[in-house]
Amino acid sequence: MRPARAGGVMTPPIAGQPLLEVDHVTKRYRKVVALDDISFNITDGITGILGENGAGKSTIIKILLGLLHPTSGTAKVLGTIAADSVAVRARVGYMPEHDCLPSQVSAAEFLTHMAEVSGLPPDMARTRAADTLRHAGLFEERYRAIGGYSTGMKQRVKLCQALVHDPAFVFLDEPTAGLDPTGREEMLSLIRKTHREFGISVLFSSHLMADVERTCDRIIVLHGGRLAHSGEVAHFTKETETVFIEVDTNRAELVAALERRGVRVTPDGGGLTVQGSDQSIYDQVRDALVEAEAPLRRMAPRRRELTELFEGRE
Amino acid sequence: MTGTVFDIGYQSYTGQREGRSRSRRAVYKDGIRASLGTGRGGRAKILPWVFISVLAAVGLIMALVAGAVNRFVGQGMADQLNLPTHSDYNGIASIIMFVFAALVGPELLCRDRRDGVINLYLVRPLTGSDYIAARWAAFLTVVTAAAWLPQLILFIGLWLSAPVPMDYLGAHWLDIPRFLAAGFAMAAYATTLALLTASFTSRRAYASVFLVGLFLISTPFTIGLAMEIGGTAGRWISMFNLSNIPVHVNDVIFGDVSEITEEAPAGELPAWVRVAWWFGWTVVPGLVLWARYRRLTP
Repeated sequence: MRPARAGGVMTPPIAGQPLLEVDHVTKRYRKVVALDDISFNITDGITGILGENGAGKSTIIKILLGLLHPTSGTAKVLGTIAADSVAVRARVGYMPEHDCLPSQVSAAEFLTHMAEVSGLPPDMARTRAADTLRHAGLFEERYRAIGGYSTGMKQRVKLCQALVHDPAFVFLDEPTAGLDPTGREEMLSLIRKTHREFGISVLFSSHLMADVERTCDRIIVLHGGRLAHSGEVAHFTKETETVFIEVDTNRAELVAALERRGVRVTPDGGGLTVQGSDQSIYDQVRDALVEAEAPLRRMAPRRRELTELFEGRE
Repeated sequence: MTGTVFDIGYQSYTGQREGRSRSRRAVYKDGIRASLGTGRGGRAKILPWVFISVLAAVGLIMALVAGAVNRFVGQGMADQLNLPTHSDYNGIASIIMFVFAALVGPELLCRDRRDGVINLYLVRPLTGSDYIAARWAAFLTVVTAAAWLPQLILFIGLWLSAPVPMDYLGAHWLDIPRFLAAGFAMAAYATTLALLTASFTSRRAYASVFLVGLFLISTPFTIGLAMEIGGTAGRWISMFNLSNIPVHVNDVIFGDVSEITEEAPAGELPAWVRVAWWFGWTVVPGLVLWARYRRLTP
């Protein structure tokens, strides 16, 4: 975990303790239940929060930022109940999904101001603004008015304003929204850099599973205001105990040959899925292919994808 | 000799974090800069500086006229001819100041909401109340300075052009706290109304047009109606002349009637009523403004 830094306004995080703690949080808006008894902890790293529109992603982020009070339950950020004090916000950053940048001022001016608003003294704010823009690849453009920036550059300025005060934790709300493939790749790379090089932990909300899969260490999946899944991304996407086989002909003979060898085989679209991924299964598949005289088109270990989380397949 | 540039990588911030007080000061400072167009493009500077220059020019012209009268008509004649002075200045400049507040004030709130920057303020160690208080204080500072600067120019002009400057200072030193108090009253009123109007729209132009229209329309409308009805009711109708409300306070402070309000029936009401009326028109809109931002969330 990133070492604690002098805050002056709150107790710094202690190594090993969760940075975010959500304990049985429910949020109701009259008859609508936005969050229903959600509990999870987030420690160091990049965590993705996945869900469709209306799943409760923004609501939980707003509760963690102390902007909304939960109807019941507690949400703690860096050991402090989020809604109890605005001081904790000096140690977190937030990148909203929607436009939030002034068009008239330069990136350097804007970031310096935002660092000051986060509590940094003016001299340090100026230094931090320049450093943050340099790390985001905007140093050369820092004195240009933000209104003249491209979408990708604006998105990077949005990330910079969330990082300029060197938070312990940063919330990113749909950071790749509206970006072209190049811009998206740059943004994902910057998010990885935020944790791996800057040491800032990230909660990254998205509905793009590919982004989460490529960037995050852990995921939290919300569905209809409820916690559908949570855990390591590797757990969800690890190679499962299956091998996918596709043959040109003699498929039925191949199934029979595999079953004679005691291998569990199930049809999967145009191919077959064979249980087990250790070396012996490949030997058995090879022998069955020879026996059935089935020409092999494709054979590969099968990976489970995050999309399956929403399709109810595990 | 050639140097080598090393990339020392990302440096964590280990210095002091000053929390909410620094946040408030930063929003206040930015409010002043936004009001004056500092750190923005050239176009953002035109409006505030034109108005500040016009206000200062009025004070300067009044000082020059007094100086010229003393020099070319006769020593001490400026005082005897009863030329417009500090009390009259506030009456003359009040409408310019209201238009200034109406055109520039909304810039502090409307742009933050239109650009979405307000969402970034509200996730920092700052509440909606802190934000609006800092913005209000920032614009109040600018408008107060714009109100005081010409009065200072006028005072210095009158003082230096007097036949015996030290006698003038002895006789008129009380004008200084008076014009400071009257300028503050005018600025507080104009600031609050300008920002309250701006809190209802993200378009600066809408807020400005509404405010200018309100000040301009209320004057002939209330004057005409007050004249028509007359009596106590007429005096109270005259109190709704929005551009005169702080000028009545100016009259109370100087113990004089300025040229703008000498015909106004509201001037016949007791001094405390006129001051309370100004206080209500400043505090109530201020509370409404605060209520609108107090629970604001992104």
